[in-house]
Amino acid sequence: MKFTRLTAFPAWEPSHKLLFIMRITALFLLFVSLHVSLWAFSQTSISLSVKKQPLAAVLTLIERKSDYRFLYQETSVFSRKEISLKVQNASLDYVLSLILEGTGLGYTINDNHLVVIGEKETAVALPADWITGVVKNERGEPLSNVSVLIKGTARGTQTDERGRFRIQAAENDSLEFSYIGFETQSVKARSSLDIILRSASQQINDVVVVGYSDKKKSELTSAVTVVTAEKLKDVTTNDIGSMLQGKVAGLQVVNSSGAPGAAAEIRLRGISSVNASQSPLIVVDGIIGGNYDPNDVETVTVLKDAGATAMYGSQANAGVIIITTKKAAAGKTRFEAKITTGFRTPDFGKMKMMSGSQLYEHQKEYYRDYIPANTDNSYKIDLLQFIAERPRTLRSQNYNWLTDMFRHAPMTNFYFTASGRTDKNDYYLGLTYYNEKGSFLNTDYQRINLRANSTHHFSPLISLSNNINMSGTTGKSYDYNDVYYAYLNMPWDNPYDSAGKPVYVDGNSTFKWWSRDKVNPIHTIANSNHPYKNFDVNYDLDFNAGITSWLSFSSTNRLAAAYFKSSTYYSPLAAGQYNGTGYLSELSTLNYGYISNDLLKFNFQLGEHRISGLAGIAFEGSHTELTGASGKGLPVGLQVLNVVSNSQVVSGSNDAAMMQSYISQLNYSFRDRYFLTGSYRVDGSSAFPSAHRYASFPSISAAWLASKESFLADNRTISNLKLRLSYGVTGSQDIGSSRYLGLYSLSSQYNSLVAAVPSQLASPNLTWESKYQWNAGVDIGLFRRIDLTVDVYNNVTRNLLLQVSQPLSVGFEQRWENTGQIVNNGVEFGLSTANIVTRDFTWKTDFNISFNTNKLRQFPATNINTQSTWSISQIYREKGNLYEFYMPKWLGVDRQTGAPLWEEITKDAQGGIVYRQATSNYDSATYQEVGSPLPKYQGGITNTFRYKGLTLSVNAYFLYGNKIFSNSLRFVENDGSEPYYNQAVLPKGYNIWTKPGDVATEPSPQNAANSTQTSSRYLKDGSFLSIRNVALFYELPPAFLKRLGVSGVTIGVAADNVYTFTKFFGQDPQATITPGVYVMPGVSDFKYPNNRQYLFNIDFRF
Amino acid sequence: MNRINTLLLWIALPLLLSITGCVKDVNPSDAITTANLTTTSDGLINAVNGAYALLKDHVEFAGSTDENNMYLRQYFQCADFASDDIVCGQTTTDPLFYSFSLGHTATQTNMRYFWYISYKIINDVNTVIEAVEKLSNPDAASRQLLGECYFLRALTHFSLVKFYAMPYTTAPSGAGIILRTSSTDPALKARSSVQEVYQSVIGDAEKGAALMNAPRGAMYASKEAAWALLSRAFLYEDNKDSTIYYSSQVINSGRFTLSTAASYPSLFANAAAAPETIFCVAFTTTEDYGKFGSIASMIYSNGNSGWGEEYASQSLRDTMSAHPEDVRWSYIVPNTVGGVVQKKNGIEMYYISKFSGQGGSPTLSSPILFRLAEMYLNRAEAEAKAGQTGPALSDVDMIRTNRGLAGSLYNGQTPSGQTALDVVLKERRIELAFEGHRSFDVYRNKLSMNRTYWGYHLPGLKESDIDLSVQPSGYANMIISPDNPKIIYYIPIDEIETNSLCTQNN
Repeated sequence: MKFTRLTAFPAWEPSHKLLFIMRITALFLLFVSLHVSLWAFSQTSISLSVKKQPLAAVLTLIERKSDYRFLYQETSVFSRKEISLKVQNASLDYVLSLILEGTGLGYTINDNHLVVIGEKETAVALPADWITGVVKNERGEPLSNVSVLIKGTARGTQTDERGRFRIQAAENDSLEFSYIGFETQSVKARSSLDIILRSASQQINDVVVVGYSDKKKSELTSAVTVVTAEKLKDVTTNDIGSMLQGKVAGLQVVNSSGAPGAAAEIRLRGISSVNASQSPLIVVDGIIGGNYDPNDVETVTVLKDAGATAMYGSQANAGVIIITTKKAAAGKTRFEAKITTGFRTPDFGKMKMMSGSQLYEHQKEYYRDYIPANTDNSYKIDLLQFIAERPRTLRSQNYNWLTDMFRHAPMTNFYFTASGRTDKNDYYLGLTYYNEKGSFLNTDYQRINLRANSTHHFSPLISLSNNINMSGTTGKSYDYNDVYYAYLNMPWDNPYDSAGKPVYVDGNSTFKWWSRDKVNPIHTIANSNHPYKNFDVNYDLDFNAGITSWLSFSSTNRLAAAYFKSSTYYSPLAAGQYNGTGYLSELSTLNYGYISNDLLKFNFQLGEHRISGLAGIAFEGSHTELTGASGKGLPVGLQVLNVVSNSQVVSGSNDAAMMQSYISQLNYSFRDRYFLTGSYRVDGSSAFPSAHRYASFPSISAAWLASKESFLADNRTISNLKLRLSYGVTGSQDIGSSRYLGLYSLSSQYNSLVAAVPSQLASPNLTWESKYQWNAGVDIGLFRRIDLTVDVYNNVTRNLLLQVSQPLSVGFEQRWENTGQIVNNGVEFGLSTANIVTRDFTWKTDFNISFNTNKLRQFPATNINTQSTWSISQIYREKGNLYEFYMPKWLGVDRQTGAPLWEEITKDAQGGIVYRQATSNYDSATYQEVGSPLPKYQGGITNTFRYKGLTLSVNAYFLYGNKIFSNSLRFVENDGSEPYYNQAVLPKGYNIWTKPGDVATEPSPQNAANSTQTSSRYLKDGSFLSIRNVALFYELPPAFLKRLGVSGVTIGVAADNVYTFTKFFGQDPQATITPGVYVMPGVSDFKYPNNRQYLFNIDFRF
Repeated sequence: MNRINTLLLWIALPLLLSITGCVKDVNPSDAITTANLTTTSDGLINAVNGAYALLKDHVEFAGSTDENNMYLRQYFQCADFASDDIVCGQTTTDPLFYSFSLGHTATQTNMRYFWYISYKIINDVNTVIEAVEKLSNPDAASRQLLGECYFLRALTHFSLVKFYAMPYTTAPSGAGIILRTSSTDPALKARSSVQEVYQSVIGDAEKGAALMNAPRGAMYASKEAAWALLSRAFLYEDNKDSTIYYSSQVINSGRFTLSTAASYPSLFANAAAAPETIFCVAFTTTEDYGKFGSIASMIYSNGNSGWGEEYASQSLRDTMSAHPEDVRWSYIVPNTVGGVVQKKNGIEMYYISKFSGQGGSPTLSSPILFRLAEMYLNRAEAEAKAGQTGPALSDVDMIRTNRGLAGSLYNGQTPSGQTALDVVLKERRIELAFEGHRSFDVYRNKLSMNRTYWGYHLPGLKESDIDLSVQPSGYANMIISPDNPKIIYYIPIDEIETNSLCTQNN
């Protein structure tokens, strides 16, 4: 019997080897099988040769050549599927198996030679046959002890040392390959199978935790991005936010501080509120809020549109980030130990401070003979006077305050985990110790975290989980002034005395001290301390019970308590205002709360319809208690409140918040192709007056998995195509309690008696801020190599919870109102490509970019927010941008006078611009809109290269089109107005005006009045591209490890914050975007710089 | 198991539903609603205390609680740093610098804050006034509180009109400030004329004086404090008779006596207990704001306690130089090393200590807003202007007697080449230096401010330009005439942007 198969539109192209085996199988079928009916068919063998014929036509041909008759309902497959086939003397079974392959159709043969073709279930099983194959991991290494099971039976085997297996199975059987730590794979039985198991971290791709339930990725109807632990492990930090930088489309991550333990700021799809919190809601293991260690994180799921976030209703305005912690995987007990160690160095960015000699040369400019009103100026530097006042020896006085105050600092992270699972119990234990010394003097951060997850299965349907997370933190913070002086003290002053000790300097010191303020920050730091401690416990109790086959009850509950204490201490030895008295201040915060979600979940399957959903209630409450005390008059050497002897001050207050919710969701799917999800949540919050306390948050979303349709089912190009659409409403209430009351604060005193001060205007109708969100998205998979996700959205936040500016003359700055709208429109692209995939080498790229525009709408009045210290303003107005800077526009330097120039605009009565002119008079300069710190687009790219056991990944993050006000320049580019501050080295292209006719960027130091006042002079382009991380890992060969008795060892080196490409002049374009105390979004002031980090790590698994 | 499970569910569900009716009102733990406050007498006392407290508290403003922001700090700095009594020894990014440089802007935070707190005090007292006036038969204590509220409203409005409007004597019908005499006023309101503001101030002070008959000490307003305010307001209006009348009312009340030459040097460190103090604002040790927040910080330092960047000017020292025995020198403290006065950036460091010394602290005092010496000087000025040279000089001598100048009295004789008014104004300058009077005294008398001395108020000055042996020349802003619009401050941008009826200063 000879046959040749040309093409039959297979799902995959079989190898030559496989073809050969198929031939053998066919023979086997013919001659060995004892199946009676088959025996009967073999009496008629078929010879056939067709090229590109429709299925229906081929069947007709067979009918003609044999005594078989076919019975089928003609669907599109019959006309669409084209067959090319050439067989001689083949059995009908064989022929049919070839021509029906990939159609989803099966057949039965009746006694009278009538063949019924229909859905597969009706097809008869073919007799068992030996199937052999090899199982390997993604790197092509054979995997032993992999369990191979025939699905739906108890029959199975295991792979041998070389990954080989042999099992008897029928051709329609599915084989299930499973191995601990790897994704379980089901494959239709074929004679020979080469299986590649993917490691388990990717397993989660299949099930995504959304809202209060899990969904298969294919069933998702909303914009969701999942980041697995695998993709987070490159960056080492104690903060998941900075790990996510550049990895999720639409997620802006700002590392605005390099202080040890500092957390990144995260914004999803722009900023959609003015006064409510803009940090996404964090949900840990299904419960809002919570504590966790990044090492324990299995996946991070970012819910971006209301289709998903509306389930969290009133707390989800800024998006939702769901953290799923690790659980035990099936099989044997596993241990893992990971050690990371290395050091950090400060990244001073583009702001280079002058050395002693640079400053010396620079200061000559202050000695030009130039008095603006005079006519006989020579513009020459008066060197005689200069040298008289600045001895030449200064040129070699080169004390570098920055490098004395910032140094290499070690960091270490230990992580240990044990996990296991039996029939009844799962457990996971994670222990982390994180120790980060600060690169700034006397700063550090240490954290110990313990997580224990355990689940007991009373029965297959009933389980109880106890999860506990405990963490303790200690650290040392810093004082802003010490960083300020690190930059501004002059290189001519020696911080140390001849014995190498920090020198004491104060206003009475008689030795020459050049720096503006007689302050030695190194001495201050040596005699002060800013320690803090934090202890945090979360206990989760989850109870799941199946009630019927379709109905279950789930209760997830958390008790949480956290205690935070911070202190500020100055020894009586420190120079400055506490000299001789000392000062100690301690502040403690106790937070505790509970949360409970109690849900009934159901899941029906009715033919091709599936309906699932949930309904239930949730309630949460939290309490905060603050206690503080401070005093002076401490004995040297003691730093405890018991020994303060005077100026004692105490403080304390309590707060509480409560919330109650009704939650429901309904999911409907048809044929696993059409998906519809609707949810409805009602929330009540104690933040609002009782009449306005409840609000509802509906959503609806739909998806069409087009690639499952028959016309795309076998498309070689498009392996996945899904269209999604969602609409929904979320809310915000996160403004603190009692904002609706008219209040007098009693926290003041006068003459040691209680004093009540008007503190808040009443706003009796205050209620929810709501965000109405549209999202349309498409997921496209091409060639099984390329995954593209595109989402467009339109988010309108209405009834903004806005602190509406009041005329100050009413005695209040603002009043809480529901007014105004913010519109965010955007488009996001996420692209993952497997550029090269061979047995030994792979190259994969993950790229994302997102564009967002932000507009204010229906603003009742223009609101100008002028920051207190530096009078930097931002304007909120109809059709304006959020955080739009509002200040005089800098026009450079007057060529003739060297004076600073700003733009003055003359307007007519209608507000039309009559003319623009330059003025050197700051007061007459016109305030105008000059840009916003919000980026036009941003994104990230990660390239991963793997060669055998070696993996290299490079991760970059970029941001474009944002304006940052570089406030430090006010001091370090000050045109001599404060000559005893060190200055920044002027970047290329900057020059100082020296005489009439000069085209200069820097005003004459002699004629620079008001030049450092707030203007667009210091407003810089904040765009940057940062090489966030480079990591190289090596997975030791298993053969070698076997001798050591461990199952895996990975060693690696990594560098974080490698380099930032930017034109920004200032400390760092990553300026905070969170409004706060002393802080305006987009203003970069002296700060704890970010750090470069060089790390070595080793990871043992056994 | 399934049965237990179902049972559990039936028990659990109703339980849960019963728990969830748990969203309650959350009332703040350290505040009380306005409605509740005004219904109790305790609440009213607390609210009146609050009005005083606002004079010295650091209240959150523009998103932060900044130690630089204190009503009285701005009150003294923005008055005296703009005068010829205090010289700037160092440029700074602190907006207090604009008082020296006249680089005022509508966004400068110190005067935005001053405006804001002024109106918060006014809102506070208006609430109390409205509550107490609802009482049918208020007792003496309540009447005292009511009177204090009227006094505080008058004082606050008066201070506002001094800082943000041209002097009454220059333009009585010019734009004054926004008068807030009711807590239910519409938010948008235009500026009243200077004259209307003075009418309101005087009306309130007179009402207050009539109501206050249960004095609570110098840290609180009293009938005499209201009279003192009236004396000053009438002086500023150039209403001589009324000035003389109210000054005399205070002087003759018998409640106060002038500090003597012996006790004067400790007057300001012990303001609350001093017999000369009519009204001061109480600061306790917990309100010792130190280097970053105290009034003293900018003008005095023991080396560690403050910035100490501004000093008694050469102009003032020259004015006093004839009488080294004058005890008023005790508040001018040269920073010397080996007998040599130190310089900061070329400027001689003569610290000012009128805001130091309470409880021995270099940064603590209870600033005096009214004291008896001013009453003599107010009366003297009015008398001098009314041509009553004798009484005027005798009032001046009353001061000099108690300041160590008993040997240098005028005894009714005007020195040659000087008018009685010259004598009074010179005495006033020396006596009330650094207490927030000088700028207003110069400009309301339509005089020019002469700041022809070395200091960083001179635009573009570099240390290397300073030659103390000669006077500076060629710099802008050395002589400031009384019609210069920069003698007052801009209405804060916050008000202009939100209150369309409010006009800006030139």
